[in-house]
Amino acid sequence: MSERNESDRLQNESWTQRMMRRPEIGSFIVMIIIILALGLASEGKAFNALGLKNNIAIIAQLGIIAVGAALLMIAGEFDLSIGPMIAFAGMSMAIMLKWGLPFGLGEATPFTAFAITMCMTLGFGWLIGTIVVRSGLSSFIVTLAFWFFLRGLTEVCFRLINQNTNVSGLPDFKQESWFAEQMGGEVFGWLYDAWFWIGQKVATGLEFTAGMTKDEKIDLINYLSFLNINRKMEQWVTGFDARLLWFIIIAGVAWYVLAKTQIGNWIYATGDNKESARANGVPVNRVKVGLFMFSAFCATIFAACQVFDTNSSDAAKGMFKELEAIAIAVVGGILMTGGFGSIVGVVFGAVTFGLVANAVFFIPWIDGAWFRVFVGTVLLAAVFANERIRKRITGGI
Amino acid sequence: MAPKSYMRVENVTKKFGPFTALNGVDLDVYPGEVHALLGDNGAGKSTLIKILSGVHQPTSGTIYMEEVKRSFRSPREASAAGIGTVYQDLAINQLMSVTRNFFMGRELTSTLGKLRIDEMNQIAHDEMLKIGIDFSDPSQAVGTMSGGQRQTLAIARAIYFGAKVLILDEPTSALGQKQQMEVLKTIKRVRARGDIAIIFITHNEIHSRLIADRYTFLALGQVIGNGTKAELEGGDIRRLMAGGAEIKDLEQELAKI
Repeated sequence: MSERNESDRLQNESWTQRMMRRPEIGSFIVMIIIILALGLASEGKAFNALGLKNNIAIIAQLGIIAVGAALLMIAGEFDLSIGPMIAFAGMSMAIMLKWGLPFGLGEATPFTAFAITMCMTLGFGWLIGTIVVRSGLSSFIVTLAFWFFLRGLTEVCFRLINQNTNVSGLPDFKQESWFAEQMGGEVFGWLYDAWFWIGQKVATGLEFTAGMTKDEKIDLINYLSFLNINRKMEQWVTGFDARLLWFIIIAGVAWYVLAKTQIGNWIYATGDNKESARANGVPVNRVKVGLFMFSAFCATIFAACQVFDTNSSDAAKGMFKELEAIAIAVVGGILMTGGFGSIVGVVFGAVTFGLVANAVFFIPWIDGAWFRVFVGTVLLAAVFANERIRKRITGGI
Repeated sequence: MAPKSYMRVENVTKKFGPFTALNGVDLDVYPGEVHALLGDNGAGKSTLIKILSGVHQPTSGTIYMEEVKRSFRSPREASAAGIGTVYQDLAINQLMSVTRNFFMGRELTSTLGKLRIDEMNQIAHDEMLKIGIDFSDPSQAVGTMSGGQRQTLAIARAIYFGAKVLILDEPTSALGQKQQMEVLKTIKRVRARGDIAIIFITHNEIHSRLIADRYTFLALGQVIGNGTKAELEGGDIRRLMAGGAEIKDLEQELAKI
């Protein structure tokens, strides 16, 4: 007698099949291709001591906002107000640092400027989320409205308080403020110290000599640049930008929450089918409002890193960043319809985007606008790939 | 002596403005029994189960659970009182795993909200095995399961989270023949536990005759007949299903056209 039952029809999968089902597989493959291609095209310069620092800086910058956008998309909503939120937060901090705290509270310190700004942006995040869940309107329209509102508000505040849409030449707060150093300073200096130490061992005996031709000198400089040594035979680069640490913290916490905790399960459930989530007691509205606030939080961290790094800000900051964040999330395997995706994929997506955005600096013959051509192509390919993965997971339904 | 009813509905009416959806409905359900609730479209079946599961409040009438008068202001209250409703759409998320669906909204957590995922996998697997599905990999997405398996998941979930009265809303509709039988088997296994009262809503007379112990027929918001399996003849069931009309009459009407 045949003892077949329904579950026998689901074949046991091999490890490879299992991996191919993972949401981050596509973005992982694209990332590897980009790393290899950029490495070859730039003759490795993209990954020498300075190249790595610059690439990581932009990867971390994009990654911070992409993680916020990704969590929100998994819960089934969009946030188009990320870019204007960055500009608003940057404006708010720069103006407080230049003109003092509001209501005559006296001089601003980097921390007080940041804290007050964070309260305001979280408030905006809460407001956007509340409007979306209460009205039932599409978050696309609500956050588009806030895109205009915040861009306009930022410019108006700049002109009213500062008479000018940019603040520059602020004192370098990193010198005396521990907090500003954590935002705009350098981290993981020990890695570059170790790199230099090893570099010195490798480069013993090498030096510039009077008899060298120009070409020989350039070759030597190139060689030393991979050993973190500059042409004076000193340490060349001293550390990564502080935003790398923030990216690691934000992505790490988001990964843990999403994959391992109750709130993570609620986020997936909310994005997949919010009615069935609600019927099972998931606080759908609170999840969504919370994630809009998290997106605003990420935008504020982005802005703080920028302000304390460059000691300036202007009304055009964060332009197109909301679109880049969404694009990274999609390339990272997040479904447009929500309910599926992983933070690991988003990190791969951020690496890919950061490297391509920076490629123009390492490959002199390339036109920077190719970046957008690439983004458009990869985005479209990613949407198709995600749809295929979704169908494979749900058994083609 | 008759067993004690687990839930008793007395003279429940529900009006939506001028429209009377339910007009004085009585219902008794007993543990270890399948109570088939039958009736045509628009007979008031859905309104009745929505009242029992706390979605609607009755205009008048009372619900007793174990002889205690109860009223449910929300689905959460009804579910806390031991009424588990499995709706037609099952409230299941396709992209999520079996375990994550099983515990959706009621996850087992340790410190900092961390999921006790191994324990949850084990429970989901064991609970589904009890009522008939050996699902070897509870981390599989629900999208890969058949309709019958999804029903089983939803039923197992309702029971695990304390349902004493299990309301099944058309569990066999929209399923193939073989899977309908799987669901009926599942219902029988739940019935065999002896401590759960099942309200089985269906259009299908054959299914109800296969597993029901007791029947209530609704038509136009009223009970037009009820009784145990022994009290009702097959012909009665068919006539009452059709809202009291004889199939013979229908044949004549059709012949006229």
